[in-house]
Amino acid sequence: MKKVMENKLLKEKLIHMRLSSGLNVYVLLKPGYNRQFAIYATRYGSNDSQFTPLGQREPITVPDGIAHFLEHKLFEEEKGNVFEEYSKLGAQPNAFTNFNMTAYHFTSTGNFYECLDVLLGFVGRPYFTDENVEKEKGIIAQEIRMYEDNPYWRVYFNLLRGLYHEFPVRKDIAGTVESIYRIDKETLYECYRTFYHPSNMALFIAGDVDPEKIFDQAEKIIVKRSGKSEAREIKRIFPEEAKGVNKDRVEERLAVARPIFALGFKDEDSVRDGDRLLDKLIANDIVLDMLIGTSSDMYDELYEKGLIDSSFSSYYTGERHYGYAIMTGHTQEPENVADSIFNEIVKRRSQPWKQEHFNRIKKKKIGEFIRLFNSLNSVSIQFVSMMFRDIHLLDYLERLEAITYNEVLKEFNEIYRKENSCLSSIVPLA
Amino acid sequence: MKDIIVKNLDKNINLYVIPDKKFKTVYISYCFHRDLDDNYTYNALVPAILKRGCEGYEDQKKIGTYLEEQYGALFDVGVQKRGERQILRFTMDLVNEDFVGKDGLLAQALYFLNRIITKPVLEGSMFKSDYVNQERENLKNRILAMINDKMQYSMERCIQEMCRGEKYARYVLGSIDDLASLDPEKLFDVYKDIIKTSPLDIFIVGDVDAEKVATLVNNSLDLERSQIKLIPETMIKKIGLKRREVVERMDVSQAKLNIGFRTNVSVNQDEYFPLVLYSGILGGGPHSKLFINVREKSSLAYYAFARLEKHKGLMLIGSGIDPKNYEQTLDIIMEQVEDIKHGRISDTEFTASVNAITTSLRAAKDDQGQLVDYYLGNAVTEARYTLEDFISEIQKVKPEDVVDVSRKVKVDTVYLLSPEEGDAGR
Repeated sequence: MKKVMENKLLKEKLIHMRLSSGLNVYVLLKPGYNRQFAIYATRYGSNDSQFTPLGQREPITVPDGIAHFLEHKLFEEEKGNVFEEYSKLGAQPNAFTNFNMTAYHFTSTGNFYECLDVLLGFVGRPYFTDENVEKEKGIIAQEIRMYEDNPYWRVYFNLLRGLYHEFPVRKDIAGTVESIYRIDKETLYECYRTFYHPSNMALFIAGDVDPEKIFDQAEKIIVKRSGKSEAREIKRIFPEEAKGVNKDRVEERLAVARPIFALGFKDEDSVRDGDRLLDKLIANDIVLDMLIGTSSDMYDELYEKGLIDSSFSSYYTGERHYGYAIMTGHTQEPENVADSIFNEIVKRRSQPWKQEHFNRIKKKKIGEFIRLFNSLNSVSIQFVSMMFRDIHLLDYLERLEAITYNEVLKEFNEIYRKENSCLSSIVPLA
Repeated sequence: MKDIIVKNLDKNINLYVIPDKKFKTVYISYCFHRDLDDNYTYNALVPAILKRGCEGYEDQKKIGTYLEEQYGALFDVGVQKRGERQILRFTMDLVNEDFVGKDGLLAQALYFLNRIITKPVLEGSMFKSDYVNQERENLKNRILAMINDKMQYSMERCIQEMCRGEKYARYVLGSIDDLASLDPEKLFDVYKDIIKTSPLDIFIVGDVDAEKVATLVNNSLDLERSQIKLIPETMIKKIGLKRREVVERMDVSQAKLNIGFRTNVSVNQDEYFPLVLYSGILGGGPHSKLFINVREKSSLAYYAFARLEKHKGLMLIGSGIDPKNYEQTLDIIMEQVEDIKHGRISDTEFTASVNAITTSLRAAKDDQGQLVDYYLGNAVTEARYTLEDFISEIQKVKPEDVVDVSRKVKVDTVYLLSPEEGDAGR
């Protein structure tokens, strides 16, 4: 079941193979690159806190932050630490957990196939003991404390708590110091068994490598590890999220020089995967560029008035169960910025942007997408995270080409409404 | 030098071209070198004003529109500190013409950059006053915002305390006081002086032909140049000072323990290579002594690292801890430092560090920004090592060389950023 995908415009070649275990393996050929990048990821993140464990009937709720805790603990092995093995090979390993996925990756410039052995090996070999679980709590507690002092992180999570009533995206990915102290090895194993089946995972490799060798190697290691275990459906349970925002204002005081704001708009659309989600991602990126990108009237006005500076940015996030747009930066007057944006939105309902502005942003998006392929890390992570939403990244240019101005305006009209927004701000200590 | 082609253009300008077919964009960076002298705030402000507009593209909207038209070309300015000099950078990254079937993108980008640098929006014989006032305010806010990132803030403060009285203590973005008393006339004079007298390095990385690029750059550049100013060498203190402790209080959840050392080694000494390895063994990643002993064995921190400020001869250690563990963490860190001095480096630690450094240097060849950072560093120190040369020097180092160099490295300042309450500090 091997499939070769070539994109003539991009000059990229991608090879896909589905292994007997159900694992999807992708190899992006990058001749001329010195580094190889490999990412092995599971569709399991901090949002998956309620589910029916494998082979059981009753759903359980696990402590917040467990997916991230599990990520830390997988690096521990019976005979020591995975970092050591990687170090001998000269690879740079790392991992991350977000709301929807957990990923383990490495960068190498040699010994690639040995490094791949290490990656596929340790992710398939959990080793949790009471002692090593206990030991990690101090480390993660300090990680949580570090984020508590980060105002950019706080303004974002406070915003999510304002936008959402129930949905777990309102909770910190790493949990709280209190919740992680409730984590034990049994629950970790339960989560591992449920979410780390190869059929729920993906392996993506980019570099000047041999795809056949990779497919063979992965097939062998994974069959040896998990046998021919069948893929089973994972029962994830998510709370029903009410319409509208939870709060329209959230404010926190921290040791900052001047206020930081994040204005968010909640997307309530229920269609959330595949091509239609990809269209949505594209449309919203275009909306944000037209509304408040660097060539827009709004950006110019706010900048000239000194209400925003070059720290300002905006982006749209679209996941399977939720979506939102965010505009964020430093300002002296968060309320004033929000009001100006609301007014601009109202004005644009009756006086939308010119068609040529839309065309120009499309051009910009083409360049942005081509640039993505310079970075093996970025393109690999992006691909996997899209794949978990049933989106094929290489379809991007085609969908971008096809999208119409009307589709873009429809997104603008549905999502960007004052009633669906929340303003989060971090203000200096009194 | 193999991978990089260096050309000396007229008017004391160096052009560095790294032609590489694998890149889908062409990355361009103009780097003006300035002494970190009394005008450092003015130096930092000039690029921010130039970014606002130029003849033909008088405001940000016009610039934004132009960049979007060029398939989302990226354009930014910045100022960096490299030892006791400031580097004023004007950078663009644009899609290679082949991908979009449009000729002239590169030539246009070079003309655009030239205009940004040489044809600012004027009022009379000075910068447009709105731009000066707005950017002065923005720069002030950026200086103040340093406090927002506690990791960066605490490290900057550690450096300021350690290097007080030295030029290096100056914050790269300038000072609030200088901004308050800003003289617009002087600002314009400093700008003209930057263009006329700064050593200028131009870097271009991508799928380009070096000869053609050189012609394009030459044709597009229109700088009024005069005698180039030599920049004084960065002062590297060669003495081991008495250890000094500084505690700063702030309303934070996590304490930051940072330690500044004098390496007593400059980049152009042979001992620099063992020094790079030394810092790697001590705190250069998950194989390092700090990671293993502070984090993995003692669960005291999530991060603990060591890194070099190579141009100034400093080594900096950073970690984020619970304030009550201050003494314990400091002891463990200093124990690691002592261990190396006493030759306690395992084969695994040594090999892992050589490998880690080799990998990051080799991987840098796949990243346009990292390539420019590396060769800009060479330009500052007049070093001639390509990335491959550097790798082979690192691989020649022996464990005893690391032990030797470790004895030259002296602790200088122990800095703690601590929550208001609690019993941290001595």
